Amino acid sequence: MLKNIKPFLASAWGKWLTFLGMFLFVGAMAGLVVFWKGLSVTNLTDLVPWGLWITIDLSSIAMAGGAFFLCAGVYLLGLKQYQSVARTATFVGLTGYTMATLALMLDIGRPERFWHSLVYWNEHSLLWEVTMCVMLYLGVLTLEVLPILSSFEWLRTHHPKIAEKLASTHHFAPYLAIAGLCLSMLHQSSLGAVYGVLKARPFWFRPDISVLFIVSAVAGGMSLTVFASMLSARLTKRAIVHDAPLERLSYFIGWMMVGYLYFRFWDALSMTYTYQVGRTESLNILTGGVLSFNFWFGEILLGAVLPIILLLYGRTRRNPTLRMLALLLVAGGVVAFRWDTNLSGLLVLVSYLPGELTVSYTMYRPSLVEWLTGLGIVAYGLMLFSLGVRYLRVVDHSLEQVHPELIPQPVPAMTEPHSLPV
Amino acid sequence: MTDKKISRRDLLKLAGVTTATLVGLQVANQAIASEPAPAGTRQWAMVIDQNKCTGCGYCVMACRAHNDISPEITWNPVLEAGQVGEKQVYLPRPCMQCAKAPCVDVCPVGASYHRPDGIVMMDYDRCIGCRYCEVACPYGARSFNWKAFEGRNPAVPEWGEPEVARRPRGVPEKCAFCYQRIDRGLALGLVPGVDPDATPACVVACPVGARAFGDLNDPNSTVSKLLRENPNFRLREDLGTGPHVYYLPATAEA
Repeated sequence: MLKNIKPFLASAWGKWLTFLGMFLFVGAMAGLVVFWKGLSVTNLTDLVPWGLWITIDLSSIAMAGGAFFLCAGVYLLGLKQYQSVARTATFVGLTGYTMATLALMLDIGRPERFWHSLVYWNEHSLLWEVTMCVMLYLGVLTLEVLPILSSFEWLRTHHPKIAEKLASTHHFAPYLAIAGLCLSMLHQSSLGAVYGVLKARPFWFRPDISVLFIVSAVAGGMSLTVFASMLSARLTKRAIVHDAPLERLSYFIGWMMVGYLYFRFWDALSMTYTYQVGRTESLNILTGGVLSFNFWFGEILLGAVLPIILLLYGRTRRNPTLRMLALLLVAGGVVAFRWDTNLSGLLVLVSYLPGELTVSYTMYRPSLVEWLTGLGIVAYGLMLFSLGVRYLRVVDHSLEQVHPELIPQPVPAMTEPHSLPV
Repeated sequence: MTDKKISRRDLLKLAGVTTATLVGLQVANQAIASEPAPAGTRQWAMVIDQNKCTGCGYCVMACRAHNDISPEITWNPVLEAGQVGEKQVYLPRPCMQCAKAPCVDVCPVGASYHRPDGIVMMDYDRCIGCRYCEVACPYGARSFNWKAFEGRNPAVPEWGEPEVARRPRGVPEKCAFCYQRIDRGLALGLVPGVDPDATPACVVACPVGARAFGDLNDPNSTVSKLLRENPNFRLREDLGTGPHVYYLPATAEA
């Protein structure tokens, strides 16, 4: 056994796992410190109670937004050519939701009471709705991943019957796609509405946050999925991609980002014409203050404008490196949007004293423990996906030829909607 | 081909049923949400006279002792609120006990809730520590227990004896109008707002009588009379939270 360790560590795969393992270990240790010492080891305060972890939480869920969208496209609209990409997106989705769960466990003050959120209900709370949807959708994603598990080589050779059973669950994919569509439309938007319903925070108090959250989640989630597929195919023979659907999707993402940029710009700039205490100050720190670099470069220029050009212009889109760069930028811009949304509302405090309302400012920088645990969660996500690529063939567009039994019989009504006998 | 067609129809049916269920749930939720603000036989309220408050901070200390609060946390800060003429004006800020409390609406587990007498309560055993209530409160009335409060409370026994359990690490805490004093007082046949033992500690501790406490539904209570006879205001009324804490504004003459 030990004899195999050295060549394993020398291999690129071994080095990659060791690299991630180090972050995972340090993150886990930092996580233990959080559970032991409590949230006093963070830089969170009563004025900024949500910080880096909530950003990771929101971003992980956003990165899972490709799953429901692509599954709906494949199984409800019958866009069969994207089935393999939907498979990857589903696995990215499950990875994202488990990352979000990890971040939440760190973030709540009483992690041992996490089950309270399932048992005690307050139907008025958007966070209740989000919790319910996330839990149910985590179940949906798990069921959607079952057929992927049947690709596990060890399982296929040792327990072929179980593998067959798992593969046969693919039959339910359309039903799961409906459930996924409903649940995701609800909570992906509601995550924005968690902020949007708070009248005490004038900058957040606007309904379009919900729309921006779901649109950016779909664009960001699909971008990460396509990026991860392309990168995996370049790094390992175990990942096989057909470029045509990926290029087509990238083109679609480009147009989607045009819509998103329009909404985001309208959303931000329509606020400039009237002064409203708190709201104007938040907009100022976003467009000219501490968050301005994030906003103009992270969200607008690098996160939207540049990828739109790269993805819509045929020559740059067909260049794999430039396309991958564009997709990564889209995903990064979505993360920046989550970070900016959270902090732009929290860093500005509106007074409640009588007379003219005044504004004061506060600051937040994540502590070392917050960073280490955050990086640990990201390393966990990368490791899960890497293992999926290697052992579960989550990026394999040639699967139809290899395992025809894994592909369910297409529903003819889906492919030829107009040729049904009456 | 035919059975495939049926399966597609089933699919659409399922989609329809799912949508209908979700819509039904929403309607049911709105029916619950549109219930009127909880009304009991009594509605407790506090009236704070800014003309009388000298900013001495006795209320802060009495609050810390009776509710066993860490020195790092203040449920009831006394803030400087500008000047009227030459006179410095103060504004003590307990929890407003809002009739439409944002913290109650946003709590995912229902750990923040209304009592029928209008007090906004915290179930510290149910709270998961997500801090959404802290983010939602317009008055900054909530403080999170970032770490456990251990050891002796420096406000005890000089300012009073603890009457409630200390809150654990990982939950936000806030003023609840000394509900424990009200409940115990009522059980003994006392009148909150009249008998000191049935009245919030801050009201009792105030050396200048700047605070009054009582039942809004009783036209003869001190608070009802004060509000009838004096101009008064509540904090951020524009938000529609309906606070149960009223202020009598400072005037230059008084």
